Amino acid sequence: MNDAIFQRDVFIEEIFQAAKKDRDIFFVSADFGAPSLDKYREELPLQFLHSGISEQHMIDMAAGFALAGKKVYVYAMAPFITLRCLEQTKCALAIMNLPVTILAVGVGLGYADAGPTHYATEDIACMRAIVGLEVISPCDEVSTRACAQQTIDDPKLRVIRMERNALPPVYKTHGELGITGYTELEFGKDVCVLSYGNTLHRVLEARKESRASTFGVIDLYRVKPIDASLTKVLDRYNAIVTVEEQCLSGGFGSAVLEVMAAAGLQKPVKRLGLEERYYFENGGREYLLDHFGLAVTNILQTVKQLSVG
Amino acid sequence: MDQQYLKQKAAWLRRVLFDMLSSAEQGHPGSVMSLVDVLVALFYGGVMRFEVNNPNVNWRDRIVISKGHATMGLYPIYADLGYFDRKELDSFCTPDGILKSFGNTSISGIDATTGSLGHGPGIGVGYALAAKYDGLDSRVFVVISEGEMYEGSIWESALMAAHHNLDNLVIILDRNRKIILGDTEELLRLEPISEKWKAFGFHTVMTNGHRFSELLQAFSNIGKTNSQPLLVIANTVKGKGIPLMEGQGNWHYWQNINKQTKDEIRHHLIANENNPQ
Repeated sequence: MNDAIFQRDVFIEEIFQAAKKDRDIFFVSADFGAPSLDKYREELPLQFLHSGISEQHMIDMAAGFALAGKKVYVYAMAPFITLRCLEQTKCALAIMNLPVTILAVGVGLGYADAGPTHYATEDIACMRAIVGLEVISPCDEVSTRACAQQTIDDPKLRVIRMERNALPPVYKTHGELGITGYTELEFGKDVCVLSYGNTLHRVLEARKESRASTFGVIDLYRVKPIDASLTKVLDRYNAIVTVEEQCLSGGFGSAVLEVMAAAGLQKPVKRLGLEERYYFENGGREYLLDHFGLAVTNILQTVKQLSVG
Repeated sequence: MDQQYLKQKAAWLRRVLFDMLSSAEQGHPGSVMSLVDVLVALFYGGVMRFEVNNPNVNWRDRIVISKGHATMGLYPIYADLGYFDRKELDSFCTPDGILKSFGNTSISGIDATTGSLGHGPGIGVGYALAAKYDGLDSRVFVVISEGEMYEGSIWESALMAAHHNLDNLVIILDRNRKIILGDTEELLRLEPISEKWKAFGFHTVMTNGHRFSELLQAFSNIGKTNSQPLLVIANTVKGKGIPLMEGQGNWHYWQNINKQTKDEIRHHLIANENNPQ
């Protein structure tokens, strides 16, 4: 459990085990693969469909399957399965409230150095605007498996945002995950930093490096809906920082601001994210994050600026 | 099949639909009236398989009106079958009524919520694949307008339907030649339509969409297409049955007319109901 894992593989492993026992589970890919999917396709060929590289059709077809009582997983690269077919997700899935799980792999700058067509840096804003759609971003093996299990036990319309790269562990057991869609991983005072997925690991690294500071860290893996109890946790702190690998318009930090506003919680909030532009620079994902505002030092500086003591 | 019976049903359906549209002063009469005879052939011509007392029975045939603005064509039929109270027809598009301009799955008998063009064929493919997977005999009818053929997702779904030999999928193209701004062939050419669908692997049949014998003949091809999905091109007249609206693009949506004109149209439709042509 200590090795870094690919989220797509562990997620599909869980679905595979469930699909062996439940013939109503269907997995649809728009020409996107994974070693675990090879196994699934080999052993459960009747419960797998290739939709062609046709995300729009894939979503509509998934709606037809779901209307016929099936539990459907649709799977493709994050930039395409979110925005390319956004209107299909609205009209064919959300309006009919169908239990389809959208698996989006390679969020943020995951596909560096492919360039902005392949980056998903606006998807949180777009997906969380869809009525009734849950938006979930697990950060490691345990949370990814738990998330997969939740889609099996309680199928509903969700997008599961997964990272392209392998991720080291954050959680040791399922029990550590908050049932409310967030987990206070590090308790602290003064400043609280909220993040998810890949950037959460950077926040945790910053926490380790910051010997003097004892800022709190929250894994807000479900950014929609955000449980109202989060504001009670945030109320214990003096200031809030959000960290996301997204453009800031309507994204992860905006979602946190919305729940704070709804609760009348007034605290200084600083949102760290990508600039409002498309990134054409090369250097790989970590390089880009280091150079464009999401370095560990950026997180530490921001916490320091907001610290009162 | 008794053609006179079908003509009677079509005349009745047009009159009831006009009453609903006229009362609400909204909706899409041109697109609904062009589809009336197709719907009558399906539901009263012995094509659609359903259970009156159980609209959700799993072996039923499905119908997806992908040109969602014409879904209201089903409402009087479903009231007639007893899926909901006939009084609902009088409450069309009112705050107390369940029937909307566009159909949705909260209404008994509606198999998919539609309205945005281009979704129906994909939903139909999902339904048809699921039926085959479950070993059910049910067929899926998807009604599209020619205007929908401009939506790329239609062709994505067509590829999938043919690849999977979905001979339980029937796409009905209501070819009334009109989109909002004019004639399709002048605005952005669609022909040759039949050849396009054939190239995508469909068995295609061309019909006069207002002639029951031709429509029923076309539907008799279901299951006899050498495993191909079926496209029925129903050549129709937009606004069919109401002279003021026939072939008029502006009657895509309800237009303001005075009471006298409404009464004249109604008398025309009632006369036709008494002596169906």
